[in-house]
Amino acid sequence: MNTDQLSPRDLTNQKAAIFRNLLTQSGFKLLMALLCIYFFFVFALGLQQVVKTKQANQELLSKLEEEDIPERERLQDSRLEDPWHKGLQASQRFVSSRNLETIARQTTIVGMAALGMTLVIISAGIDLSVGSIVALGTVVIAWLLNKNGFSPLLAAILAVAACGTCGFISGILITNLRVVPFIVTLGMMLFIRGAAKGLSNEQKIDAPDTWLNELLASLGQDQKWMLIPSGVWILIIMAVMVAVLLRYTRLGRHIFAIGSNEQTARLCGVAVVRVKVIIYSLCGVFAGLAGLMQFSRLTVGDPTVAIGLELDVIAAVVIGGGSLAGGEGSILGSLIGALILTVIASGCSQMGLPNWVQEIITGAIIIVAVALDRLRHRRPT
Amino acid sequence: MRKLFVIFAYSLLLICLSSCGQQQGESDEDTPKRLTIAVIPKGTTHVFWKSVHAGAVKAAQELNVEIIWKGPLKEDDRESQIKVVEDLITSRVSGIVLAPLDDTALRPVVNDAVQNNIPVVIIDSGLKSDKQISFVATDNYEGGRKAGHHLAQLLDGKGKVVMLRYQEGSASTMNREQGFLDSVKEYPDIEVVSSNQYGGATTESAYTASENLLGPLRTSEGRLSVDGIFCPNESTVFGMLRALQDSGLAGKVTYVGFDSSEMLVKAVRNGEIHGLVLQDPIIMGYLGVKTMVHHLRGEQVEKRIDTGSKVATPENMDDPVIKDLLEPDYQKWLKEK
Repeated sequence: MNTDQLSPRDLTNQKAAIFRNLLTQSGFKLLMALLCIYFFFVFALGLQQVVKTKQANQELLSKLEEEDIPERERLQDSRLEDPWHKGLQASQRFVSSRNLETIARQTTIVGMAALGMTLVIISAGIDLSVGSIVALGTVVIAWLLNKNGFSPLLAAILAVAACGTCGFISGILITNLRVVPFIVTLGMMLFIRGAAKGLSNEQKIDAPDTWLNELLASLGQDQKWMLIPSGVWILIIMAVMVAVLLRYTRLGRHIFAIGSNEQTARLCGVAVVRVKVIIYSLCGVFAGLAGLMQFSRLTVGDPTVAIGLELDVIAAVVIGGGSLAGGEGSILGSLIGALILTVIASGCSQMGLPNWVQEIITGAIIIVAVALDRLRHRRPT
Repeated sequence: MRKLFVIFAYSLLLICLSSCGQQQGESDEDTPKRLTIAVIPKGTTHVFWKSVHAGAVKAAQELNVEIIWKGPLKEDDRESQIKVVEDLITSRVSGIVLAPLDDTALRPVVNDAVQNNIPVVIIDSGLKSDKQISFVATDNYEGGRKAGHHLAQLLDGKGKVVMLRYQEGSASTMNREQGFLDSVKEYPDIEVVSSNQYGGATTESAYTASENLLGPLRTSEGRLSVDGIFCPNESTVFGMLRALQDSGLAGKVTYVGFDSSEMLVKAVRNGEIHGLVLQDPIIMGYLGVKTMVHHLRGEQVEKRIDTGSKVATPENMDDPVIKDLLEPDYQKWLKEK
């Protein structure tokens, strides 16, 4: 928790200290990074469109020239387009409400899983089974919906409970067997993936059409008053709850204490085992909610979905200032991290960049973001 | 410095808000004069999809339209493909040519596209929907039947056969598998020993599955207790081929596959594969884009367009028609870009 430590000079100037806390802790800088990346794509998309249109115009003109059409008529051809107007349109599309909504919807799954992962990473642990739990969640919901007597709400609750149980088992194994979380959750990743495939007979399960499918669907004209789809609202509410839990409750402070120094925490009377089991259970629950969101997008239970999702989730938490050594991390940061990942993916898609370029860019940004974060941390002390 | 930050943030916020305000006015955007068509494959690294890409590029050049080729970031990941479609709807392309990874999961996003006045043409695999303009694909069931009959003839209508499936949920390969099973049923002396194993998405997983499948079927003399093998797509055919080669069984068992690649062609020449049912991916990409352009220019298009399939054997593989299918000349089109 070295963000909480203040150097003597800062104490003499409390105003500056408060401001610096605001900068380092509220994720203000991260927000700036997000905006920079976002507007980078706004400009890049516009510029790309300008270049493209200019090229198309050029081609058209040279073709008309070959057809011996006089220059004045050539320039008045109706197929010529104003490149700057087209560029502006392309830029506007990226800041349009439709695009913002798409970004919000695409972030929800990673964001939801990142809530739990933030808790785990603050406690100096890691959970690699998140992707598999998401897949299990979608399968369980679809499976229950196909049985008689399960309302959508009940199916969703049971699925989230099943996912929470997976997290609970991870927590029990980690604390009782004294095996490092990396190995336990690696095992659980395969175990749960296998269970999901087994439950679904190694195929996707089609489910009846219910309101669950509407959670993350694009809003229709008559639902505009909601601003963003209900699934995104659920994410926001959950995020606020977890943030409050981390900052103001005893459990939250204990999580930080364990992550900073587990031995010290134990000596200070923190029930390390119990807190850890709670952390991993919560991580399972949030992965289950992410599974619910995933189901809502797929409308089928898919045991092969979300392979490698845990890496996106970990990347989001780490970009958001979480430290794999424990003791650091924030909910707001993790959500911004998830948003940054979505904006990059979405921007690259809309620019039509090939996948390999997109992967290289994403990788580079993760490393740069975390490196900058470490530099920032080195300075104050 | 801090003030700069704040000013910067406020200005960005203002731009953001102002453009949101403009959004309502932009909804009845004039249709672009040069068409931009998004072509979304299931993956980008298979030879098959490179050929579809080539066909799409060919059509784009002929019809003077622009294509955006963008596959899912994670190959064979449904969620990833949904994201790509969403992003392309947002960037307001003129039309989308989509090879859906799933016949159900891609349905909501296709509906979304149609609601936003972006027409969709489905290629390669079916979608359980009637919102698409047209479905341009090989008749996979018929292709599977061709494979079944070819294998049965090679075996003189009797023997034991196994089939390694590809992956559940992929409609195209499931139809091939069904076509194969149905055609083999017409030969009473042919017994299907195993047809419930899945090769999975990659060559690597198909290789492992093949080894597991072949292991118990080996006899003490080092031969196989089955006479025929069928695999329904490039990755499973190649995975199985590698497994056969590594255990010295290649060429000792009658082997019929689906799709082609350089290595598979070599295997046909060496007599390790006795037949490959071939689709025409270049034509598929070409017709997909062409159908879309025709629709956008206000012409009537067929609801279902078959792109055909043929069986390549060691005997007919130098026939120019078959050769074109075996070794699609995709580089010619992709290099010109």
